[in-house]
Parts: sequence; structure tokens; C-alpha cells
Amino acid sequence: MSRKAWSVVLVLCVGLAGVGPLWAADPVVIGVPSSLGFLEGKEALRAVEMAVEEINAEGGVQVGPEKRPFAIETIDIRDAAPGVPVPEALLGLEKIILEKKPAALLVGPFRSEALMAGMDIIAKYKVPMLGTIAMSPASEAKIKENPDKYKYIFRTCLNAKFLVKYLAGTMAFVQKQFGFNKVYIMNQDVAWARKTAEITTKVYFEKAGWEVVGHEAFPTGTSDFSSALMKVRAKGAQVILPIFDMPQSGTLVKQWNAMKVPALMAGFISPLAGPGAWKTFDEKIAGAINVNFEMGSAVASDKIPASVDFAEAYQEKYGVPIEAGHGVGPSYESVYILADAIQRAGTLDADAVVAELAKTDRSGVMGRIRFDEGHQAVYDMDPSEAAVAAVIQWNTDGSRTIVFPASIAEGQIQLPPGLKPAR
Amino acid sequence: MLVGTIIYALINSAILALMAIGFNLTFGISGVANFAYGAFYVMAAYGMWLIRNHTALPYPLAVAVMVAVNVVLGALMYRFVLLRLRGQALSEVIATFGIGLAILELFRYYGFVGFEYTLPVFSDRSFVVVGTYVDAQRLFILGFAVVLVACLWSFTHFTSTGLAFRGIAQDERTALTFGIDADRVAALSVAFGAGLAALAATFIIPLGSISPEEGYDVLIKALAVCIIGGLGSSGGVIVAAVIIGFAERFTDSYIGSHWTMLVSLLAILAVLVVKPSGLFGKQKELEERI
Repeated sequence: MSRKAWSVVLVLCVGLAGVGPLWAADPVVIGVPSSLGFLEGKEALRAVEMAVEEINAEGGVQVGPEKRPFAIETIDIRDAAPGVPVPEALLGLEKIILEKKPAALLVGPFRSEALMAGMDIIAKYKVPMLGTIAMSPASEAKIKENPDKYKYIFRTCLNAKFLVKYLAGTMAFVQKQFGFNKVYIMNQDVAWARKTAEITTKVYFEKAGWEVVGHEAFPTGTSDFSSALMKVRAKGAQVILPIFDMPQSGTLVKQWNAMKVPALMAGFISPLAGPGAWKTFDEKIAGAINVNFEMGSAVASDKIPASVDFAEAYQEKYGVPIEAGHGVGPSYESVYILADAIQRAGTLDADAVVAELAKTDRSGVMGRIRFDEGHQAVYDMDPSEAAVAAVIQWNTDGSRTIVFPASIAEGQIQLPPGLKPAR
Repeated sequence: MLVGTIIYALINSAILALMAIGFNLTFGISGVANFAYGAFYVMAAYGMWLIRNHTALPYPLAVAVMVAVNVVLGALMYRFVLLRLRGQALSEVIATFGIGLAILELFRYYGFVGFEYTLPVFSDRSFVVVGTYVDAQRLFILGFAVVLVACLWSFTHFTSTGLAFRGIAQDERTALTFGIDADRVAALSVAFGAGLAALAATFIIPLGSISPEEGYDVLIKALAVCIIGGLGSSGGVIVAAVIIGFAERFTDSYIGSHWTMLVSLLAILAVLVVKPSGLFGKQKELEERI
């Protein structure tokens, strides 16, 4: 080899040695165990990837004296799929903890049933987790009962209790504006949806003069709602409160439209959240009202500029808009919350990180994020004080208007064509 | 409410009959219980969706392409997998179930989950039928089920291939003495069954969405209908579809949707206890006679 060639090799070696320490730093592994085949899981993972790329582009997360890059490990635990038993989902959760040694878990189980059972595994291995999809408040109760054991579990997405606040606010407006007071509740037969229906009935409908003319729970996977919709008509319900997160729940909207059921559809149907729903449902969803669980999840508001930036960056990176109304915004924020906590703790020690996570006070895509004693992010009506959800209504031109809460509302609820006020 | 329930029960019966008729045709002729049937149904639906959304082909052509693809794949499955296993019922079930499982889980692995995966309705109009709103798609299903049954009956009674089908179904050995190629007919029956699954998907999927779970659901429903009707009996399929269709909708309307599946399973159990071969089946009875 000539002297010139040796010189080139030498320069390259020196150069690589110079950048060596940057790449030599061990990555901080983030585990993402969830139902990654489902829309919410898929888009939540994309949001995590976005945040990780942004943080890594700045050199990584500050762990004590050094900056280390984040690395993502994933596993599809399929807990949202009908018929997948909880123990099978938990095997995936334990597998990623044992094999990938993550410093923290993000997104987490999709179903609350899997989260509840998985809490003992997470506590056993002491891995901090920021859950962004499972919603049953039962996990918070468990944390409050035994904080030492379950302190590793946090939730940044909306929970069923806070969802009720938004549903109650929407129903109160509908009652005041249109005089409606007869509701038919239709929910998926899963923990979070059952709990939401139960709390809404007890805390709101029974006290606010509403008559619940019917309440039906549907097994996950149900795709024919014709019998229930006939009951809605027969019992004279003015409002249908749907609470579903399964893809098949879109059938309910199709049937509601085809059967010309004279009732306002107002609640949560996951396929109705994103902008693509207009085309998917053949432009037949005007008037339907949907709670998008968190700002940033398929909805953005000029009043929270970070949510607009996030939505635009997501579309630019993936070429499609966010369609999931749940889990996406919180997943993006969770990476930053974790990075901040690790930086403040100066270590990856789980107990130290958890102590810092509990002190979180961050303003981002969803508004202001702080955790309560059950490690649940606090949701309320003002984004400068708490995280916010957004209730949207579909318009006849295919656009969506935020109608609740008032702090971010762009307009008021309008009755769909063919539906008249009760007074 | 009662009239509405009856109308939707009739439509539900037509849906169940459409779901089961391909499975039943294959079993009735070749004796192969094609447990990949649900996967063929879902695969055709995803195929139509992909063609419709990613090519310039008109939708009717997409349907024709996927029916043809299913027919070819069904024939290939018979030629390269089932031919060697013919007559070993358990092996046939394991092989076809394995193929079905692989197809469905492959779609899940590649992220084909979400409400955007659906097929268009033929018409988005609704009609009032005896005071009940019914969408045009459901009426199409009802009409198509009647037409399909009539066509299949004519096919098996007035065409040489159809008569060969019946010959093999009645007595394979005797049919062989008449020069009917049993393997060719069996391959055709598997192919036809897969094609019918694609046609059923074209009509039924627009009411909901395409998902891997749909494959398992269709297989279970097809099995339930065929077991109650008597495996291999075409008349039995129709009667069983009506029984389950009405049982499901009346359970939904007057008891609760949670009990729907239980009622179907109880119906299967009750029929099997009273008539082990199903309402119109002959196999078990023949075995007992021998």
C-alpha cells in the first residue's frame, strides 16, 4: 500500500476515533409492548419513533454526565385482538422486559384487563412505564392502595373518569340547547368502556334529569348493531352514547345512517376520530360527535400551537395524517416526559426516575401535564392548567369542528340534518 | 319492533347462508373440510381493497380478479397440499387450518387492521320495508343469496360438471367407474368453494370492515351452519342458516347481544344431541347402520 493510501486510512481511523465516544454510548432502551397491529398501537409507536428521532438528533438523552441515544424495542402483545387471553399478552410483556432490558416501557397494554394483570410483572421487574392507551381507573386505585409496589406505573392518556367529564359536558350542552333528555348507551364489553358507561350514568345522567332508556354492552368484534338501533328508535331515545374502541364499531355509524335513526350520535367511536373517516364512511357522518381522547390524537388546535406542530410533523414524516383519536399525542409526550425525568434524576435507576416522573410539570402537545397521586395525568378544560381532550363534530363538508371544551372550542354543537330539537 | 326483527333476521339468515355455502359445497363433494375458508374470504376482501385503492381498475373488475385468484389458489391448495392428504380427515383439517392461520396472521403482521379496510356498498340508498328502514346492501344480499342458491341448484342438476360433482358426492367409487376423475372434481370443488368465499365477501364486507378476525368468525359461522344443517347438505345449509339467523336476531332484540353466541352454540349442541348428523346429514347415520 502506498504512503498516500496509508495516510488516508490513518486519517479515517483518527476521524472515527474522534466520533467514537458519541456512538459508543450505550443506548437507553425504550420498550414498546402493545397491540401494534391496531390503529392506536401503530400510530402510538410512530409518535414514539418521532420523539426519539428528535431527541437523538439533539445528541440523545442526558444521563448524568453523558448524552445517550434512545433506542426502541417493540413487541406486539395483541391484547386488543378478540380472543387473545390476557396471560398470552403478559408473556409478551415479560419477554420484552427480560430480553431487551428496557429502561422504561411506553404505550403499554392496550386493554385495561391486560394492564391490571401486568402491573404485578412491571412492579416485579421495577421498570417505569408510561401507559398511553389502557384507560380503566382501576389501575390508579391499585397504585393508591400500594404505592411502594406499583409506583412504576404512570398514565399520560385520558382515563375513564376524565372521559366522563367531557361526555357530561357535551351532554349538558345538548340537554340545554336542544332539550334532549333520553339516552341509549351502547358500549363495548371491555373494562374501560364498561366503567365509562357506569360512571357517566351514576355521576351525570341520574343526577341531571336524563332517562337512560336502554343500555347494552357488545362483545368485542360485534359487527351488527341493527337490533340495538331498532330499540333506540322504539324507545324514543334522542341521543345515542356509543363507547367503542374496536375497528368494527364503525359499522354502528354506517347502520345508524342507513337506518335513519332519529337520534344524535355523541360519544366515542374510534374509527370516527381522524380526518380519513369522512371518506371511509362515504361522507355520511355529518352531525356525529366524537370525543378525541387527547389533544394531539387526530386533532390539533391553534390554541395549543405544539399540537399543530406535532400534527404537521407527523404528516410530513409519514405522509398521512394522524387517524387515531387516542394514544398518539400522549405517546409522543411520554418520550419527552421520560427524557426530562432521566435528565433530572441523572441516572437510569428506576426508583430515581420514577421519583422524577411524579414531579413532571410539562407543557406540550396535550396542554399542561402533571400527575395526580394515582400517577394519572390530570385532564381538565384549560390547556394552560391541565391536559385536554377535544370533542369534535363532523360537518356536512367533511371538516371537523372542536365543540368542547369552551377554552379550545371553534364552534357550537349543531343538530344533523333531519333531527329537530325537543323543544 | 317484531316486524323489524323478522326482516333483519331474514337478512341475517341470508348472510349466514352466503358465508356457509362455499364451505358446504367443498365438503359435500370432496369431503374436504376446508378450514382455510375464512382466510380465503378475508384474502379476497383485502385483495379487492388493494386493487380498488392502489390501481386504476374499476371495482367490478377487482371483484372478478379476486374471485379468479381465489379459484386458482383453491385449486393450487388442493393440488399441492390436499391431494397427498386426501381421505385423512384430521390431516386435511390441520393442513387447511394451518394455511388459513398463516394467511390471516400475515395480514395482521403487515398491519392490515383498521376501519379504512372496507369495501364499498353497491348503493347507499335505504328503503322502508313494512315500516322498517333497510339499506340497499342488505336487500342485495337477500336477493343474491336466493339467486346463488338457484344457480347452484341448476348447475348441479343441468351441467355435466355439476352432475359429476353430484356423482362424486353420492358415491365416489361408482362415479369413478363412469369415468369421472375424482381428483379433478375434488380440486374443482375446493376451487369453487374459495371462489364463493370471495363472492360472499363482496356482498357482506361492505356492511362492516375487513379484519383478520373476520376470517375466524366466518369459519366458525360456516361450521355452525353446516353442522346444524348436516355437513354436505345444501338444503340443510339453508334451513340451518334460517334457524341460526332468527335465533341470533331474536336473542339480540329480546334478550341481549351478549347471549347471541351462546344461543348459536346451544342450537348446535341441541341439534347434535338429537340428530348427530345434523338436520339433513347422513354420514353418522350411515356409519351407525354399517
